[in-house]
Amino acid sequence: MKYVIIGNSAAGVNAADAIRKNDKKGQITIISNEEFPAYGRPLISYYLSGKVKPENMSYRDASFYKSRKIDVLLNTEVTKIDSKNKKVITSGGKKIDYDKLLIATGSVPFVPPTNGLANQENVFTFLTYGESRRLKTAVNKNSKVVIVGAGLIGLKAAEGLFGQVAKITVLDLADRVMASVLDKPAAKLIQSHIEQNDIDFKLGVSVAEVVGEKKVSKVVLSNGESLLCDILIVAVGVRPNVALAKESGIKVNRAIIVDEYMQTSQKDIYAAGDCVESWDCLANACKVLALWPNASNQGETAGFNMSVGNKQKAPVSFAMNAISFFGLQLISAGIIGEANKNSIFDRAANKLRRLNIVDDKLLGYVLINDTQRAGIYTALINDKTKLSSLEYDITKKDIGLSVYPKASRVCKIWGQTK
Amino acid sequence: MKRVYAFENRCLGCGLCEVYCKTAHSKSKDIIKANRNENITSAIVIEEILQPKAVAYFALQCRHCDDAKCVKACIAGAMYKDENGVVRNDKDKCVACLSCLLVCPFGAVKKTEEGKTVSKCDLCIDFGAPACVENCPNGALKLLDDKEAEALK
Repeated sequence: MKYVIIGNSAAGVNAADAIRKNDKKGQITIISNEEFPAYGRPLISYYLSGKVKPENMSYRDASFYKSRKIDVLLNTEVTKIDSKNKKVITSGGKKIDYDKLLIATGSVPFVPPTNGLANQENVFTFLTYGESRRLKTAVNKNSKVVIVGAGLIGLKAAEGLFGQVAKITVLDLADRVMASVLDKPAAKLIQSHIEQNDIDFKLGVSVAEVVGEKKVSKVVLSNGESLLCDILIVAVGVRPNVALAKESGIKVNRAIIVDEYMQTSQKDIYAAGDCVESWDCLANACKVLALWPNASNQGETAGFNMSVGNKQKAPVSFAMNAISFFGLQLISAGIIGEANKNSIFDRAANKLRRLNIVDDKLLGYVLINDTQRAGIYTALINDKTKLSSLEYDITKKDIGLSVYPKASRVCKIWGQTK
Repeated sequence: MKRVYAFENRCLGCGLCEVYCKTAHSKSKDIIKANRNENITSAIVIEEILQPKAVAYFALQCRHCDDAKCVKACIAGAMYKDENGVVRNDKDKCVACLSCLLVCPFGAVKKTEEGKTVSKCDLCIDFGAPACVENCPNGALKLLDDKEAEALK
């Protein structure tokens, strides 16, 4: 058996791992357009700040590929999937045969078309280790940094650069930070905490024009204001990286369409991670859930099914995030809804806990600086547990396993914990 | 594989398991120094169950799931399953992002007091038997393999 995996991050690596568990002999090739062995992608901001050293960036130990007999082609772009003859063709013209193929190409940064943005040296995105390294060498203590986008990526870039540059300004078209994840009160809390670290926000604006010859010197905003700038980071969002799949005739909506076994519309071609549409069990719809745990799970499922036949279904998923900014820890999951009576908001301690309860079920939650045992809430969402069947009112007490009636608690702890 | 199981009807809620857990994971390995001077977060959660006329307790440790959600969620490759099936956390790699906490259905992973890593049960694998089991004064914690646990269900 010849397995080829395009992509070398959470989905690709977990797929290769699962294939090797089931098929000791098959040939596994991972092709990556990046120059590094698999690394923890969300760690790129920790590298930027110096909190994580290069030797700790790797996602698996140094012997991972070798001990599992996985061939890795780094710095290699796949230009074409020839599904008729079951080959992938690389930028160097190399043709690689496959019996089973996994597309795990992840996301690409979305750069909105902007006047004067093209061909500027000091413009960065923030999605790869390579880009993070390039950024780290480009900044100095006099840099005036403008970050476009106050989502997870933009805010993590701001945190990563903190203390290394003269000024950081973050812009966003939305009226709040992390608009896709948070409601107003929670976003406000996060924003004011970040502002204490001398990071400026300009919300409700976009970039109208970028000024500079070969190097950005200034950005003009939609409200007429201009900002001096010598490092511009574009972090407005990501798009599923699906060009390759599209060209080869695989069915694609916003992202690659897969069945519950992670197989695409073409037999023997699978896809997993940020480049696919997953079933969101809360929205009851297919969505792009670009989340690390989701990519790992899907990659493992795809790898399993590629090596033993379609037997394992991918775990259902929904939005979830765990992230911190300057020591303020945020955990959220599911559909968070609007601020409601189940909010416990302790402004003095920068704490927020909000549960979104609808029809006797927990649909989502936001926890800020009050995060112990959040996973039990996540499980209540995931299992669609009827809250009235529990031992106490979860809005009145800290969560624990004691919330479950004795029989189901014992079953959870004693049962095989799959 | 062997896991630590709690017997609710025997647990007194005395907290000694936490004391010995901290000692086992301390630098000094001295019960007084470990609990007084070293800022260690125990890998055990002691839960209180309020009943109409009484209080019951149980101690909970990581279940070392076969298909561990925390390992899948870890963004740093710090959480891993070793060759014995024990789920472990590499403190050098952990960045305390708390993705493991977000997905653990048992709430068995804690953020440490110092906030740089997480704390979870490693079955005291580096020095023999789990200290909590060894030192429980009332036999409320037992180290059992799957078969033994099945028989006692």
